[in-house]
Amino acid sequence: MSTNEQVHSISTRLSLNLDGTDRTADVDPRSLLVEALRDDFGVTAPKIGCATGDCGACTSRVDGQITKTCLRLAVSAEGSQIVTTQGLAEDGQLDVVQQAFWDEQAFQCGFCLSGMIFAASELLAENPDPSDQDIRWAISGNLCRCTGYEAIVAAVRTAAVRQREIPQRG
Amino acid sequence: MITHPFVYRAPTSVAEAIEILAETPGISRVIGGGTWVVPECNRDESRPGVLVDLRRAGLGGIDVVGDVVCVGATATYSALMSSPDVARHLPLLAAMASGITGGRQIQSQGTVGGSVVAARPSSDAPAAVAALDATLVIAGPDGERRVTGTGMFPDASTSCLREGEILTRLEFAVRPAARWGYYKLKRSASSWPIATAACVLGEQPHLVLGGVSATPVHVDLGPVLARRPLTPDTIEETVRRAADSVSTPWEDELAPATYRAAVAGPVARRALEMAAHQEES
Repeated sequence: MSTNEQVHSISTRLSLNLDGTDRTADVDPRSLLVEALRDDFGVTAPKIGCATGDCGACTSRVDGQITKTCLRLAVSAEGSQIVTTQGLAEDGQLDVVQQAFWDEQAFQCGFCLSGMIFAASELLAENPDPSDQDIRWAISGNLCRCTGYEAIVAAVRTAAVRQREIPQRG
Repeated sequence: MITHPFVYRAPTSVAEAIEILAETPGISRVIGGGTWVVPECNRDESRPGVLVDLRRAGLGGIDVVGDVVCVGATATYSALMSSPDVARHLPLLAAMASGITGGRQIQSQGTVGGSVVAARPSSDAPAAVAALDATLVIAGPDGERRVTGTGMFPDASTSCLREGEILTRLEFAVRPAARWGYYKLKRSASSWPIATAACVLGEQPHLVLGGVSATPVHVDLGPVLARRPLTPDTIEETVRRAADSVSTPWEDELAPATYRAAVAGPVARRALEMAAHQEES
C-alpha cells in the first residue's frame, strides 16, 4: 500500500441522527452510505443489492428525501437525519404501510422491502387514493426478485384504504 | 466500498469549487447528484483523486429572473416537478423529469445539470434541454461563459466543460405559452430510454431527438412548422424530416443502430401528436 493510500484509508468520524438517535461512528471515507449504515452503525434494514441505483434495496429517508443510499458517499451525509425502515415503528407498532405489507404477505425474502415501503409511503403522502397504475409507477424504481409485485400492489392498496380511515398523526 | 483512495471535498460556494479544481488539475471529478459518478467509482471505472461534491455549493435553486428561468446545476428532478415556475414556463422539462428512470429516489437524487454534463446518449435530459433552447452557464478559472445549441453536446458522454470548470445553471428564456410534446420509447419502467423526442412549437419551433444518435439530433424543420397549425400533412412532412435527420444512429446494449433509425420517425410523430392534441384542447 502506498503512503497515499494509507493516508486516505484512515477512518473518519461520521455523525448522524439515525432513526431518531444521535449517533457517531468511525467510517472508512471510501464507504457508500449504505455500507456505513450497515457495517459501522449496525443498522441492517437497508440492503446492498445492485450498488448501481437500480434495485432500491438500500433505500432510506435522508433529510426528508427517500434516497438510494448506495449512490451517496457516507462522508456526504455528515449531520444528516436518516430514517431507515427500522425507525418507522412507534411503540412497537408497525406503521400503516409496514402492517399492510405484513397482512398481505407482500414480501418473501424481504430484501426489497426498504425500497417498496418508502416508495409506497411517499406515494400515499401525496396521493391518498392511488390507482393500481399510480402504485405500479410509484414502486418502479424498486426491484423484487421474488416476483411478488401483485402482492406488493395489493399491500399498498390496503395501506391506502387504512390510511384514509385513520386520523392523521400529529 | 470504493477501492481507490480519494479526498472528498464539498465546497460551499462556486468560487471554492473552482479553487479546488484549480488546485487538483487532472485528478478531480465533480459530483452533481451522484447517481452516475458514485457507482462508476464503485465499479472502479473511474479513479479520481479528488471528488468535488456540489451538494453544499448552493446551486440547487430554481428562480425566474426577468424573462429567464434559471435552473441551478444541482436542481433535482423532484425540484423541477414541484416548481410552479417550471410548471408554468417549462412544462416539457417537468414532463421529462416525471418520466425519468429509477423511481422517486432517483428523481430526488439525480440532477438535470449532472445529466447534461454526463451527456450520455441514452439519457432523458439532453434532448429536452436542447429542444427548450437552453443556455448553459459555466464557471471556470477565467470567469463565466455561456454555451448554447449544438455546442452543449460535443460528443457521446463528452461534456462541453473544460478542465477546471463547473456548470452553475441552465437558463431558459420565458416564451409565450407554446405547445409542446415529449415522447420516450423504452423497454419497461426501469429501462433507460431507447429514443426520445421533444418538441416545442411556436415562433421558433424545435424538434430534437434523443437516444438515436451520439448527441441530440436537431431536426431541420425548414418552413414546415413556422406559424402553421399542425395538420396531418405537416406532421407527415415533419416525421419524414425527423427520420431523414438520423445519419449515424447510436447503438448500444439497449438497441442496434437499425432499430434506432427505424423508430426515429414514429417517436417524433408521437411527440408531435401530443402537441397537436394540446392545440385542439
